[in-house]
Parts: sequence; C-alpha cells; structure tokens
Amino acid sequence: VAQADTLTYEAACERIEAIISRLDSGEAGLRETLELCQEGRRLVEFCAAELDAVGRGLEELRLDELVARLEARRASDTA
Amino acid sequence: VRNVHGFLSALSEFPERPAGIPGSELTGPWPVGQYAAALRERLRGFVRVQVFGEVFGFKAGRAKVWFELRDGSGALPCSMWRKEFDALGLGPLADGVQVVAAGGCDYYVGSRTASPSFSFVAAEVRIAGEGDLLAQLDRLRRTLHAEGLFEPQKRLPRPMLPRSIGVVCGEHGKARADVLAGLRRRRWRGRVIWAFAPVQDRHAAPAVTRALQDLAACAEVDVIVVARGGGSLADLFAFCDETLCRTVALLPVPVISSVGHHADRTLLDDVAAVACSTPTHAAEAAVPVDCAAARAALASATARLERQGRRAIVERARTLARLSRAPAAHVERHRVRLHQHLRELRASARRGVAEGDRATTARAIALTRKSRAAALTSARGALRARSDGAALERTATAALERRRRDLDRLSVALAAHDPQRTLERGYALVEDSAGEPITSAAAARESAALTVRMHDGRVGVRPDPPLT
Repeated sequence: VAQADTLTYEAACERIEAIISRLDSGEAGLRETLELCQEGRRLVEFCAAELDAVGRGLEELRLDELVARLEARRASDTA
Repeated sequence: VRNVHGFLSALSEFPERPAGIPGSELTGPWPVGQYAAALRERLRGFVRVQVFGEVFGFKAGRAKVWFELRDGSGALPCSMWRKEFDALGLGPLADGVQVVAAGGCDYYVGSRTASPSFSFVAAEVRIAGEGDLLAQLDRLRRTLHAEGLFEPQKRLPRPMLPRSIGVVCGEHGKARADVLAGLRRRRWRGRVIWAFAPVQDRHAAPAVTRALQDLAACAEVDVIVVARGGGSLADLFAFCDETLCRTVALLPVPVISSVGHHADRTLLDDVAAVACSTPTHAAEAAVPVDCAAARAALASATARLERQGRRAIVERARTLARLSRAPAAHVERHRVRLHQHLRELRASARRGVAEGDRATTARAIALTRKSRAAALTSARGALRARSDGAALERTATAALERRRRDLDRLSVALAAHDPQRTLERGYALVEDSAGEPITSAAAARESAALTVRMHDGRVGVRPDPPLT
C-alpha cells in the first residue's frame, strides 16, 4: 500500500522496462521469472489505471469552481 | 491647385468611378493610390525631429535597413538608406540598444502588388547607451540568477502523465485554444483547471502571481502552464515582474512558461521549469507522452510479460518431461544393445563350434594317420629287436667263453709268481722286526733281530758279529 502511494507512472514504466529486459535476457530462474511477471502485471495495471484516469474525457474547471468544490467538501467533512 | 490637377488626371485613369456612399457628407470617393500619394506628401511635410528609444528587430536589406524604436509607451518603425547607415560604421544594432535618430516621416504608397508602409526615415543615428528597459531587465535577471532562482523549478520532478493541469492565461485569448490543441495532440483527456488572469500589461503581474499561488495550493494540480501569445517586449513586461518570478521560482509545482517567442525571452522563461515558444508546445511539454502510444506500449509490455511468463513455465515443463523420459529411453537403448550383443555372441559361438569341429576332424585325421605310421614303425622295431637279441646272445656266449679261458691262463701265471710257492720250494724270506723284507747282508748285520719266514712259519734269528 505504501508503495502504491508513492509509485509514479514514470517509475512504473521504467520498472516494467527493466523487468522485460531481465526476462528477455533469459537469465532469470523460474521463481524469479514468476515473481517478475507478477510484479510486472501489477505495474501494468497501475499504469493502465493512470492512463484510464486521463483518457475518460477532458474535464474543464475554473479555478474558482474547484476552490468552491474543495471548500464544500471540507465543510461536509467537518460537519 | 497642383493636387486638384493630380486628382483630375487620376480620374481620367478610372473612367468607371463608383458612386459614393449615399448620404455621406465626405468628398470622394477618390482613388486610393492618389490618396496615399497625398498622405505621403502630408507626412513628408511633418516637421523633422530627433527621437530616442530602444532599437528592436534590426534588419538590413540591400538598399535599406529597418528597425523599431521602442519605449515604455510606444514604438515607431524606422528605416534608413543602407549606404548612409553603413557610412556611420555602427554595424548591426542589437535589440535594446538606445539610440537617437534624426529624420522625418515618410510613407511608401505601395502598389497593386506591394504593401504600403509607414516609417520614420532616419538620416542620422547615434548610439545613446544601453536601453533602459532591457538594462533593468538584465540587472534583475543577473540578480535572480546569482540567487540561484533559475534552478529550483528545473529540479522539480515533472510527471510524465499528470492527471490535472493548471493553466494561467487570458480568458478570451488564443492561448487557451492553443493549450487545448496541444493536449488533444497528446490525446490527453484529464482535468484542466483554468485560472484566467489579465496578461496584457504591467498590472497583470499581481493577478498572474495570485493565480499561480492558488493553483499550486491545490494538491491535485500536477503541473502548471502559463500561456500567452507573443507580443512586444513592453507588453511582456508583466512576465518579467520580480515578485512573480520569485514566486514561481519557489513554487513546489513545476511551471511551464510560454509567454513570448524566441526573440522575447522573459524572466519567467528563465525561472520556469521549462520555457516553450508557444502554448501548444507548453501543453505538449506538460504531458510528455502521447497517451495513445503509451497505451499501445503498455499493451505490448503486457503481451511480452505474459509470453515470458508462459514460456518460462512451458519450457521448463518440456525440459522436465524430457528428463523424466530419459531413464526409460536409456534402459531401452541398453536393452537393444544387449540383444544385439546376444545375437552376435550366438552367431559367433555357432561359427566357433563349426570351426572347432572342422579343426578336431582334421586333427583326428592327422592323429589316425600318425598312429598308423607309429604302428608300422613299432612293428619294424620289434623285428629289428628280435634279430638284435639273437646276435647279442651269440656275442655274449662267445665273450664269456673267451673270458673264462683268459682267467684260467691268468691264474696259472699268477700261481707261478706267488712267493708262498717259492717258499714251499725251500726258499726263506728275511724280514726285520717290522715285517719289512731285508734284501742285503749289510742291512741284516745292522738289524738287532731278524725273522726268517718259511712256508710253514717264522723263526727269529740274531746275526753274528761280523767276521774279520
């Protein structure tokens, strides 16, 4: 969970590249291969989620609208 | 009067002169070229003066040089004959150089194929010192640089895939559409938070600063774009404001500026994380990846991961299967080899027995032959032995007879030589006390006692003393 909080799209992409190049080298043993595949799948899911987040549709907001929305949320939280 | 003549001659060139605007109290309509010529005459009639300002956009053509003179409140396009300018020996004028120009207004009337242009035609130019505005700007730039304020923004990590992008721009300017076009080009469809602010003049700086601070205060804003189309440097001075630049330098969110163009570098461009020449480029810098391409790359990465994972298992399973089959195959191979050996052994044994038979038969035949020969030889031997035996017997009998005769003869001879026989015939033998014969009278005289041996016994005697 801590990792998911700090993980960035670019770090995930970089790690996926590293994993694939390690797998392509053919030097990884069975256990390592399976662990790398599992980690890779997790990272791919993360990246796909990030891409989905900027792929649903352009949302345009004015800064004052955003501020108002955030303040309303804060008010409801405190209530 | 001269002008009226001119207009009349022009009228003769335009036989189809259009009717004027109904109800208008103004004279005309006049042909535009004629009017332009009149304007030129009027402008040339302006009083000739000296003006000063900062040079901008100096260009040298074959016949003329052009530049603008600018200051904080206005600008004037200027030109000068190339020959006269070169004679001054100033060389190309850099932007911001403050000059004094002496001359007057002129107007190029243009033609059907050439644009008209107004310019202040300088007859003389004198360098007046460093441009005030640019000198101020340069001092501020040096100060900010010395304080290290160009660096912090550039050190901020910029996300490859921001979810929310804050944009500071004019609400009705072209920059807004350009930013959206850049984002579309990246096929990015996240959230854009607009912070509209006046971007026209010096009064814009506080509003832009506030907008930037507000955007940076929103935790969800990943990157901020400050966008404005190009303009004169005086117009862009809002983005050289010291407070604005210091604020941007210390913002925790990366700022991408696109407030000028390549000829007008603002201080904001210097302190920002990235400076772009257009709002479209700024949007592309805010989203460094093409989202569709990234999606495709991700799909390919997924496929490769799946393939590698599957291959790792399948290949190992194949290896295991091969290994598990190996002992059985090994045994089978040995069984086949053993059978082969066995067959060879049997064949070889059969061959060996047959050969043995043949050899034994041959040997038996040889033995038979040899035994027959031996029997023949032994029969011959027996025959010869028998004849030899008869001969031997004969020889032996003859030899025995001869030996007997010899013996008789020898015994007669021997008896003839026996001393006993001599003694019997009357002879005696003198011996000393030791029994040794004494054969001389001298020896007998010297012996104390003598023995005379006769054929029937011995008599002791004593010699007499010698006779004289």
